[in-house]
Parts: sequence; C-alpha cells; structure tokens
Amino acid sequence: MDVEFEPRIVAFMCNWCTYAGADNAGVARMQSPANVLPIRVMCSGRVSPEMVLRTFRAGADGVLVMGCHIGDCHYSSGNHRTAKRIPLLRNLLGYVGINPDRLRLAWVSAAEAPRFVQVTTEFTDKIRELGPLSQEVTE
Amino acid sequence: MIEEIRHVVAERLNDLDGVVALRKAADGVAPHLFRQGDDLSELEITPRYPLMTVVSKLHKTFPDVRLGVVARGCDERAYVEMAKREQIDPDRLTIIGFACTAEEAQECYCAAPYPQQLVVGTPPLPGPANPLVARYDAMSLDERRAFWKGQFVKCIKCYGCRNICPECFCEACAMEDAAWVEPGVLAPPFPVFHLIRAMHMASRCVACRQCELTCSAHIPLTVLYDLMRRDMETLLGYVPGADIAVQPPLSLTLTDAPLRASAGH
Repeated sequence: MDVEFEPRIVAFMCNWCTYAGADNAGVARMQSPANVLPIRVMCSGRVSPEMVLRTFRAGADGVLVMGCHIGDCHYSSGNHRTAKRIPLLRNLLGYVGINPDRLRLAWVSAAEAPRFVQVTTEFTDKIRELGPLSQEVTE
Repeated sequence: MIEEIRHVVAERLNDLDGVVALRKAADGVAPHLFRQGDDLSELEITPRYPLMTVVSKLHKTFPDVRLGVVARGCDERAYVEMAKREQIDPDRLTIIGFACTAEEAQECYCAAPYPQQLVVGTPPLPGPANPLVARYDAMSLDERRAFWKGQFVKCIKCYGCRNICPECFCEACAMEDAAWVEPGVLAPPFPVFHLIRAMHMASRCVACRQCELTCSAHIPLTVLYDLMRRDMETLLGYVPGADIAVQPPLSLTLTDAPLRASAGH
C-alpha cells in the first residue's frame, strides 16, 4: 500500500523570538504546515548537538533550529554559539552520508510571523522531497 | 636521541618535583613520575602515549607540584588545549620536547611531528595528509553512509576512544547519558553515538590519533575528526593545539571569533 509520505519535523524555537513569532502567525490565522512539532527552548544556544542527533534518532525527518536574529538575543550572545555549532553539525551529518539539508538554522523574530510561515513551509517541502530519514538511517 | 633526553631530564630534575615520562615495565612501558635519584636508564619514549592525561591528574591532585614532561608534538598540542580548559596549569609544567622520527610522522600523517618547545632532536618533514580523508570526502552521500554504517556497526562501545583521548575529560560524559545514547544497545545505533564524540572533538582534536590506534574495532575515527579539524579551520580559523593564547571559538561570541566562511544555509 502506498501512503504519501508526510515529513515529521521538529522545530526548536527560542522562547523570546521565534516562539512568539509562531504564536503571532497563529493569532493572525496564517497557514503553516502541521508537520512541524514545536519545542520551546529558552535560547537557540540551548540546542546541543546531542539534542539534534537524538531528535533524528527518535524519528524526525528534519530538524529546524530557530532563534533571535544576531544582535537580538535575550542572553546577548546565546545565538552566536548556535550560529557556529549548527553549520559544523550540518557538515558532520554530510560526512556520514545524511543529507545536511535535513537540519536548518533560521533566525525568526517575534515580529516575523510571515517569515515563520515561509521558513517552515519551505523546510517541510524540502524534507518531503528528500523523503523519510529512515531510508537513510536504517534501510 | 634517548640518551640526550635522559640527560636533559636528569638536569631538569634538579629544580622540578618530578618528570612524567614512560618507563620500562614488565610487558613494555608504563607512565611514570621520575624523581631525583631515579634510574633514568629505564626512561623510554616509545610507543606514543598520551602523557598529558597523567600530568593533568597530578596537577589536580597536587596543587603545588611543579612537573616536567617528556613530550612529542601531539603531546604538546594536547597540553595546549587542556591548559585552555584548565586541566593543566601551564605555570607548573616544563615541556621537554623531542622530535618524532620521519617514519613516525609518516605513520601518523602528522602535519607537525615536533613540539614548539623542541629540546631534543631535529624536526622531520611533516607526514602526508591521510589519503582516506580525500577518498571518503569525494564520495556521494550514499557511498559515505554505506561506508560509515559499515564502520560504526563494528563498534563494541568499549569507550576506548574516549578513555585514551587527552581532550576527553568531562566528568559527566554525554556518551554515557541515557538521554542521548540508549544504554545496553550494541552496536550503538547509527549515527548518534559516534557523531556526539565527533562534535565534541571540534575545537579539541589535536590529531594525536590515539583513539584510532586504541579502537579494538579498527574504525578509522580520525578521518571524521580530520574533517572536523578542517571545518574548524575554514569556518572559524581555529587550529587546535597551535596557540595557547587563542581561546576555543565555539564558546566565544561572533565578535570575538567570527565565522569566516559562509554558514551554508
């Protein structure tokens, strides 16, 4: 039986910017993909590589990490660490043959509800195109 | 060369509390703290051994002790990264550096087979780059995955790579935390276990290759870590072990340690 693939996506969102942006998108009745499971974290800098890896292991086909734009971090420089860590982790995924595009970092402020919708929609489409991660990981 | 090292150690022991080096033991060698009056003819320099781990333990246990250590290039680099993270007190350590042989440099694919504080020996030519790095780097995603799955499945989770590593000194190890790694599952599910370590090695790995030598499953771990080292250099201009004055960039702000290359997203 062929069932159309619906990606499972986990989005780590920072409490101060993106989570509020997502909330605003909801309040404004904007449509965003239901594939995205939000997880609120206090700062995108809290999202350790272990968290991302375990999220993939737990069945996510894609992981989004979203936080305040550089310069707007509630903790001043928490997102600076995210900005360095995620590119490294993306490369590392690629080195063992997992498509790095399954992990994306995006800055979305509280005032950017349309951008929240755009990023989550784009990302969901991308992951739909890539197919289930289980194809790559377990086979 | 070894006679010269023994001579230097004897001299330095006049004003140090002890010198950490390898000593002949029943079945080979073992790390040893040489004190004044000890028989230095028992001092050995092969095989390679991460002596900085021993120095770190001694520094932490005896807060006043002033030590020397007989060190290769990789030992010195390990020391540099450990000192930055407060595992070794640079003010209480004298490095008695010696150069590796050209053959050792080749075997290790070592780019810097001698310490900056070189006391004994002449620097050999650097070894070649590990040919496996270029080979696996050129593979497609599918080929890489097939390759690494084949490697990681051999893992018996002995933690040898972590235990031997001079840069693995966290008191609580993420690789033992049930939140991240399922306990009792063998082989560790692809790829979490090994990628946690690889991520933690970014900005730390000094390419001593002890992990790979130790690995009982013969997993070519340093290929992965070499790639991380390359990324640290391209993205952040950081070479672990090169300069004790340069702080590890992953914990600094973008102002203090900016990203050099495009983040790729």
